[in-house]
Amino acid sequence: MFDHNKSRDENSNVIKYWRKHPKSIEKYQFVYHFLPREDKKKRADLLDNKAILIYCVLIVFVSVVFRFVPKFAPGVLGYASNITISDLLKYTNQKRKENGVPPLKLNAELSAAAEKKAQDMFKDGYWAHVAPDGTEPWDFILDEGYDYIYAGENLAKNFSNSKEVVEAWFKSPSHKSNLIGANYDEVGFAVVNGVMDGYETTLVVQMFGRPRQPSMLATVGDEKGLPGENKASAEGIEPASESLGESVSSPEQENSQETPSSEVGKEEYLAEGSYLVQSNANPAIDITTATKTVSLAFGIFVSVLLALDIIYSRKKGIRKFTGLTLAHFMVLVVVIISIWLVFKPGLVI
Amino acid sequence: MMENIKENRVEYFILLVAIATFMVLIYKFRFNKGMLIFLSGVGSASYIVWGVIHHLIRGKLTKNIVYEYVLFGLLVFLLFFSVLSF
Repeated sequence: MFDHNKSRDENSNVIKYWRKHPKSIEKYQFVYHFLPREDKKKRADLLDNKAILIYCVLIVFVSVVFRFVPKFAPGVLGYASNITISDLLKYTNQKRKENGVPPLKLNAELSAAAEKKAQDMFKDGYWAHVAPDGTEPWDFILDEGYDYIYAGENLAKNFSNSKEVVEAWFKSPSHKSNLIGANYDEVGFAVVNGVMDGYETTLVVQMFGRPRQPSMLATVGDEKGLPGENKASAEGIEPASESLGESVSSPEQENSQETPSSEVGKEEYLAEGSYLVQSNANPAIDITTATKTVSLAFGIFVSVLLALDIIYSRKKGIRKFTGLTLAHFMVLVVVIISIWLVFKPGLVI
Repeated sequence: MMENIKENRVEYFILLVAIATFMVLIYKFRFNKGMLIFLSGVGSASYIVWGVIHHLIRGKLTKNIVYEYVLFGLLVFLLFFSVLSF
């Protein structure tokens, strides 16, 4: 049988003890940073409005630091990448095959023009089809002696791998028309690492063309400077599996009546082979990983606190005068999934 | 929790539809950063409006609750923006 008087005496003794030794319960007060308070009918301290405001300020502060670091230490922050020309060609031709368009052949002059365009962008610090001095993509192509009927250019930067580049191009209607354009027979790529706006990054330049004279079309012999994997792709060996990727492209076709290409120049360029090198940008800190980590850390921290609030409040029957905790939790889960799985670095123009 | 959902089932249904639409849109525009930033802003603002309207209908709207939704919407937008702006 329950002895009411005994229970009251025990409680009274406990309260007396607490009053005498306040430190004994103060040390447990920290749990209210993480758990809702029944007495005040509010959420955990770390979920109140002031705490959320502090998280917002901290996120802004970290973003500002990431913006300023490149000004004082260029190249420390950057975009890690692993992009190869052979993969770019493979995925490009996959897309063309899927759309019933003949595959493109890798052309040395177009690749040389793409390489020079990429280097020019790093040198003059611009990210555009037309250079600040008015130089157009076609000028680079013509300078390499590639006389064309049709030409086009796609640009990409900050991507981490070749498939994402081609997917991004395919996803953009304007770039897509270049990527699967039936007017092109040949393509050239450049994948160049450098520092732009203080961030180490990889620029990808893709140049398309149809030569004025059919005899100019690339052959296997023209690609003698390719490394093994590139050579296989250049010879038109199709990948075994289908790609689900997408890509972007902006059509910029132009007719030109310039001089035909120089065989000597081409051979010299192939001898250098610099545009055939695989790109592996390895900055000290990968900005994509860093920003995602910061956002996910805050998002997951607040989500866990909200989940604790939901579970603990239900268990203890606590009713609070606040917004809907479950709704906040659902929205944050969407944020975490989006940042983790959907958001990819990279820009195309 | 189930009582909470039952009590606010219309609001939660609207929220779920909005979340599903948002997820489809961000997947569709996953390579378009400008659009993703725009969607993040619209999504955060919509959530604030949803929360305020919900509490207004229930007659439970206070200044603190408005601040809470505004701050939470801001937090959501900043979590997106800090990733998308790089």
